[in-house]
Amino acid sequence: MYLKRELPKLQLKNVSKTFHTKGVELKVLEDIDLGVEEGEFLCLVGPSGCGKSTLLNIIAGLEEPDSGEIFSNGHKVTGPGTDRVLIFQELALFPWLTVIKNVEFGLKMLKIDRKTREGLALEYLKMVHLSKFKDAYVYQLSGGMKQRVALARALAMDPEILLMDEPFVALDAQTGDLLRDELQHIWKETRKTIIFVTHNVREAVCLGDRVLVFSARPGRIKKELRVEYPRPRHIEDPWLTLQRHLPEYIQYVLVQLKKLPYILNQDS
Amino acid sequence: MNGFLRRIIFYALLIAIWEMVFRLHIWEEFLFPAPLSVLQTLVNGFMDRTFLIGIAISMRRITIGYGISVIAGILLGLLIGRVKLLDETVGSLVLGLQTLPSITWLPLALLWFGLNEKAIIFVVIMGAVFSITIGTYSGVKGVPPLYLKAGRNRGAQGYQLFLQVIIPAALPSIVVGLKQGWSWAWRSLMAGELLFVSLGLGFLLMMGRELNDMSQVIAVMIIIIIIGLVVDKLIFAKLERNLYERWGLDLA
Ligand SMILES: Nc1ncnc2c1ncn2[C@@H]1O[C@H](COP(=O)(O)OP(=O)(O)OP(=O)(O)O)[C@@H](O)[C@H]1O
Ligand SMILES: [Mg+2]
Repeated sequence: MYLKRELPKLQLKNVSKTFHTKGVELKVLEDIDLGVEEGEFLCLVGPSGCGKSTLLNIIAGLEEPDSGEIFSNGHKVTGPGTDRVLIFQELALFPWLTVIKNVEFGLKMLKIDRKTREGLALEYLKMVHLSKFKDAYVYQLSGGMKQRVALARALAMDPEILLMDEPFVALDAQTGDLLRDELQHIWKETRKTIIFVTHNVREAVCLGDRVLVFSARPGRIKKELRVEYPRPRHIEDPWLTLQRHLPEYIQYVLVQLKKLPYILNQDS
Repeated sequence: MNGFLRRIIFYALLIAIWEMVFRLHIWEEFLFPAPLSVLQTLVNGFMDRTFLIGIAISMRRITIGYGISVIAGILLGLLIGRVKLLDETVGSLVLGLQTLPSITWLPLALLWFGLNEKAIIFVVIMGAVFSITIGTYSGVKGVPPLYLKAGRNRGAQGYQLFLQVIIPAALPSIVVGLKQGWSWAWRSLMAGELLFVSLGLGFLLMMGRELNDMSQVIAVMIIIIIIGLVVDKLIFAKLERNLYERWGLDLA
């Protein structure tokens, strides 16, 4: 019998991108080949300017690659679609809308009725602890609060693929912890596919099933790292530091140790 | 209210000086009337309804002319702001036409429409429409590409992108255009009404001159200033304050 191998949720084939500004060529991405499984949490790290944001924009259908193709659910990506929602590095909240209207925006575009989308928006604002600020305008928020609105705005759309561009940089440690926990929780509940860009290797290893390390411009995938450690994970977990320095067999032992309580629980 | 009080005192002083100059009898009375006789003319004008009719006629014209300008100007601005071909062609024409004082359209309007309402409304439109077009155009051009991306990423396309992203993002600049358009419309209307028999406020001004009635001239000028101010304060100041509050811009 012939078994069809399941297609990845998202697939990039030989994606390259060069920007031309005033006659100067800037090669940003070179031959990116990448498959992301359904429900996978993929983290991208790499030096500043190596093209991470560009790659997310290309996946979102907001920039066109010079060559190569992107498939989402097996369909070729030719433009933006609400199956792939991006949290922009610059957040891109709309200054002419209140916080709650910002969160409702995408739902409105999806023609969801007012009552329902208000309810949904409130739910997500509560999740990021901003219910009190629902009627504030964007300029009245701090940097971290803006990031939380952007997160709520993206999650409210319940996309299959969530693209996150350094979403937690302006947060204090506590809020960052809180939102990382919340994100892992949501991810576990909804089985979303997440691509998460960060500068923070610790954060990448904490969140990702897999971490891709990019080279400096032109961005290429330099290294791939699987993180098998069980969840929920916390950014303060000591193994996060070990992960990068210990030989693999010790990592394996650590992983088994952490799994032990679960295994024992299952037996009894 | 402090500012209000200061303003009252200022105008009271102004009128007092006016009265004093009048009492010095430097100019003949029919060239330089007393504040009281201007007030008398105002009261009379409103009692016998000539001023009311004049105001009504002028307001009707400006409402129609400005209304058409707002719709046409915003549409045109959006179009040339978003369609490259139109930008390169119609865009340059609009810039050229905006520098043309609107009253220079009067001869053409008279030939086209004859001596009637249409001609004068046409002049009003020509005065206002290009300011509004240019305000809208620069607003659209200035929409940060990031907002367009964000809108498209969240499912806005076609007219939705226009209504929900481009227009709101361009609104501060559109309001500047609307305000400028209003003042041009008002000036064009007065210029047009001065130049041919037309019953509006401009005509009452002209009639004052022909009757050598300086108090009527001044009375009508005061009415024109007050209408301009009231519209500015009631409509545009509110619009701007609302906008600034939302965007967190400083109240200039
Ligand atoms: N629209 C554009 N036009 C021209 N050059 C661009 C454009 N967008 C990005 N670039 C250039 O492409 C390179 C990669 O940019 P990108 O934003 O993808 O980097 P990044 O990896 O996200 O960096 P960071 O970690 O600092 O956010 C940069 O050198 C940038 O100057
Ligand atoms: Mg970036």
